[in-house]
Amino acid sequence: MKTMDCKDVLANLSCYIDGEGSRELRQALEEHISRCRRCRVVFDSSGKMLKIVSDADPFEVPLSVSARLYSRLEKVLSES
Amino acid sequence: MQNSNRANQAPSDQDDLTLVDRVLSGDRRGFESLVRKHERRVFRVALAVLRNTEDAEEAMQDAFVKAFRHLDQFRRQARFSTWLTRIAVNEAIEKRSTRKNYVPLGESETAEGQVIPKRYEPWRSNPEELYGKQEIHRIVEEAIQSLPDIYREAFVLRDVEGLTAEEAAEVLGITIPALKSRLLRARLMMRETLAEQFEEPATLRTKIVHAAVDAGTAVAMRLMRAAGR
Repeated sequence: MKTMDCKDVLANLSCYIDGEGSRELRQALEEHISRCRRCRVVFDSSGKMLKIVSDADPFEVPLSVSARLYSRLEKVLSES
Repeated sequence: MQNSNRANQAPSDQDDLTLVDRVLSGDRRGFESLVRKHERRVFRVALAVLRNTEDAEEAMQDAFVKAFRHLDQFRRQARFSTWLTRIAVNEAIEKRSTRKNYVPLGESETAEGQVIPKRYEPWRSNPEELYGKQEIHRIVEEAIQSLPDIYREAFVLRDVEGLTAEEAAEVLGITIPALKSRLLRARLMMRETLAEQFEEPATLRTKIVHAAVDAGTAVAMRLMRAAGR
């Protein structure tokens, strides 16, 4: 595989993070990243960003919102 | 026929199918269990589309009512959760389109040009240790809310709710390449937005060193390309 430039590497960021793509592609990306500080930073910080997002406390439905949902569904279910 | 896909379903999905069967055979209480199990995601994706709690609540209620009334149309090729999420997203998108001030972002406006990263300082090795749990939750939510509509939807479905690319594309009614393209831009935007909070504080010295390294790398890459590598 020919040498990739930063634009090609960036276009394959998701592919790399999601563990997709051929071994050849991943090797070419890794080779570029080992040489290019900027792409290394972008790849590393994107991985950290996704970890922060997935580790963040899950979003909860406010209790009052949930209560109104059950109340409406109660009516719908009893009418049907 | 109804059970033909069950062998491939995870236990949680099989529970859903059992509950769907119960509801369809007349046990309406089974629907309450489905609601309890999926209300968090339905509300989350409605909020991702609408960015407003009151509207998201209404969309969530309408989505569950619609799912209940059309449960017999659930074909079981997809997971129940994906089918339900699609209904929720459609309800929310429909609600958004009726807003007086809503201007949809055309795909052509969004597909052009790549997001070019602007921040190149490394992130701290344990960025999560800098803030408390509530603070991280707030920082992440604000960053998500700041994404333009189509990128926020893709990001929430794939990276927050953990749908596969295929499921997220199915929910949004777009192709997988379109989903992946939106997701890449969303991820780069999220990285850019969160960089301020999570970067290593750069000293003047590190900035100079990084600039010198970047310049050297650029020259080396040009020479390698010229040499045909």
